[in-house]
Amino acid sequence: MNSRHQRRAFAPHPVWAALAVLAFGGGCQPGPSQSTPILRVADWGGVADDNAFSKTVNRLQRRFEEQNPGTKLRFENAPGEYVPKMILNFVAGAGPDVMSVDASSAAVFINNGQLRDLRPFMAADPSFRPEDFWPNVMSVGAREKAIYTIPGDFTPMVLYYNKRLFDRARVPYPSGPMNFDQFLDLAKRLTLRDAKGNVTQYGFKFANWMPMWILFLWNNGGDVLSADGAHAGGALDSEENAQAIRYLVDLVRTHKVAPDLSQTAATGVDPFATGTAAMMISGHWELPGFETNPKVKVSDLGVTSVPSNLPQPVTVYYAKSFGIPTQSRSPEAAWKYLRYVTSREFQTEYQSTGIAVCGRKDVAAALGQDPLNRAFQRLIPSARAPWGAKVVGYDFVEQEGVKMMQSALLGAPPREALQQMAERVDAYFRVR
Amino acid sequence: MKKSKLGYLFVLPATLHLALFALFPLAYSVYISFYKWNLLTSTKEWMGLANYAYAFQDSLFWRAMGNSLRYAALSVPMGMVAGLLVAVLVNQRLRGMAAFRTLFYIPAISSGVAISMLWIYMYLPQTGFINSVLGAIGIDNRTDFLQNEGTAMFALAFMSVWVGLGPKMVLYLAGLLSIPASLYEAADLDGATKARAFFRITLPMLAPTSFFVLITSTIGAIQVFTPVYIMTKGGPRESTEVVGYHLYVEAWSKFLIGIASAKSFVLLLVIVALSIVQFRLMRRQLEGHAVS
Repeated sequence: MNSRHQRRAFAPHPVWAALAVLAFGGGCQPGPSQSTPILRVADWGGVADDNAFSKTVNRLQRRFEEQNPGTKLRFENAPGEYVPKMILNFVAGAGPDVMSVDASSAAVFINNGQLRDLRPFMAADPSFRPEDFWPNVMSVGAREKAIYTIPGDFTPMVLYYNKRLFDRARVPYPSGPMNFDQFLDLAKRLTLRDAKGNVTQYGFKFANWMPMWILFLWNNGGDVLSADGAHAGGALDSEENAQAIRYLVDLVRTHKVAPDLSQTAATGVDPFATGTAAMMISGHWELPGFETNPKVKVSDLGVTSVPSNLPQPVTVYYAKSFGIPTQSRSPEAAWKYLRYVTSREFQTEYQSTGIAVCGRKDVAAALGQDPLNRAFQRLIPSARAPWGAKVVGYDFVEQEGVKMMQSALLGAPPREALQQMAERVDAYFRVR
Repeated sequence: MKKSKLGYLFVLPATLHLALFALFPLAYSVYISFYKWNLLTSTKEWMGLANYAYAFQDSLFWRAMGNSLRYAALSVPMGMVAGLLVAVLVNQRLRGMAAFRTLFYIPAISSGVAISMLWIYMYLPQTGFINSVLGAIGIDNRTDFLQNEGTAMFALAFMSVWVGLGPKMVLYLAGLLSIPASLYEAADLDGATKARAFFRITLPMLAPTSFFVLITSTIGAIQVFTPVYIMTKGGPRESTEVVGYHLYVEAWSKFLIGIASAKSFVLLLVIVALSIVQFRLMRRQLEGHAVS
């Protein structure tokens, strides 16, 4: 007999169930009467700072209830630690009816069999057309022929620039893709100092946030994992990546065109949002914040592709999709809701808030009249999914990435820091 | 018989609570520690003692254990001294002393997350309260306490002193109030100074209280999680990655539930061993006092 044997988990377990009840207020519950089922919808959004955004979302949700009398929506928002909270919910057998799925952690739910294959719903709903959605974003939830999620919206990561700060430094706006050397030169020209040598304006806002700086690895010909996503050794510790990390560290430490992390901490504020850094890499989600920002207006912003040493720049997209968990008690109603939130009607109104690029091509095209949106959409073909869309446990890789970059910023040789990270990631992959 | 049945009835709710929320999860995590499981799959793979072997070989786990002990070595003595001093201060018969006692206790009943956020701002370079004070007295005020390997752990420990002041103060206050006044009267008649009375009467008489505070504070310090999670995420360069945070990462970032469970039992063994050592040392000390 094999010493290692398989045992079935006795989930949902009462203890996990009790904890989930405490955390989420109970599993799928009957409505006020048997005829009014409650559709439980899980999302990571918390209380929005933007009141107009919240009002739009609330109005759209109420409309679904009006259009579907007898169905009540119950939102179970888990801002922060969304993935562990959802996992706990599933272990307790209290999974929601519909859940938002982030591209960077989609594999956790899809690869572990927590989401339904949506093809039967699609087949029974002739009005649903997969070709309405951006194919690369649709691919987040695709596994061979199965489709587990439908895109809501997404954003490619782009290089934002503040036109007012460019004007102040008398530097022309970026006109197209630039390589690392050109980007460094630009950042140097945008970094201004007073008579005493104190920096009054930085060229670039650097953040030790792997979804941002991974783009420098990709655009120098490197990557974090092997092509099949199975291991980090041989990929992460490449010379291309070491060069990219050294380049980033030099931006901060040698050329001082970006504030170091202590300086950012010292002010306690975002240097780009406060108009003290001229460029940053981020996503579309930043835009609503600039609507009310007193220091940097939306009209100050320009968007272009990230720096690249490749013939064609590569970027990443972060997408929000919707899936129906296998534990959903009302899959038919869940599909109806999923169709609603991915519909042209819903998305046209929802995307008017400026939160992201619509996952539907028709709505995105309609909103593409705006120059900023058009700039985002131009970058979509060069955007690829984050590793977390396909690799379970990528969250840990990103945490190790932050540690690695911290080491490099504190003076560790980039190659050694990358090798140590690769060893840790592979050690984890061996036991996961 | 009837009386004892009533007694059982009274303790039943607490017993049920203990069984459901403490004993059962404890037993279940022992069971899990022998399996490979990521929570979401319907199967668990039997690993025998492999998870424990992995725990013993994982250098980061032992580094985290060392960090926890370092945190305890910094925070526990500072906390005990501060708690005792404040207890002595609030033991004075002055008007409004109850208000002071309450004020000192407020951090202990406040949200750990909120307190951690507050201290992030306190520790900010240049603009933070601590650096502002340092700057005002002519000391370099650009230290980023939480991003510096040399200061991050001390910064966390220093904050814990403030947070834990209230409970320690209450325990020491109870200890102080239980010391017979006749001892001080006798010392006074013998011409002992206040300082001498403090060191020869107060401190020895507080030994059992100190022992209790030492044990509970050490266990609490080794289990610290919230401030690390909120303020440093174990950084910089893992200098504050304590074992509580390490276990959290194993379980909720890596989904290695079996390994995390095994490591938590290794932690339990370490805490038990430490407590035994402390018990023995303290017993010897108490016996020494009894003889003298």
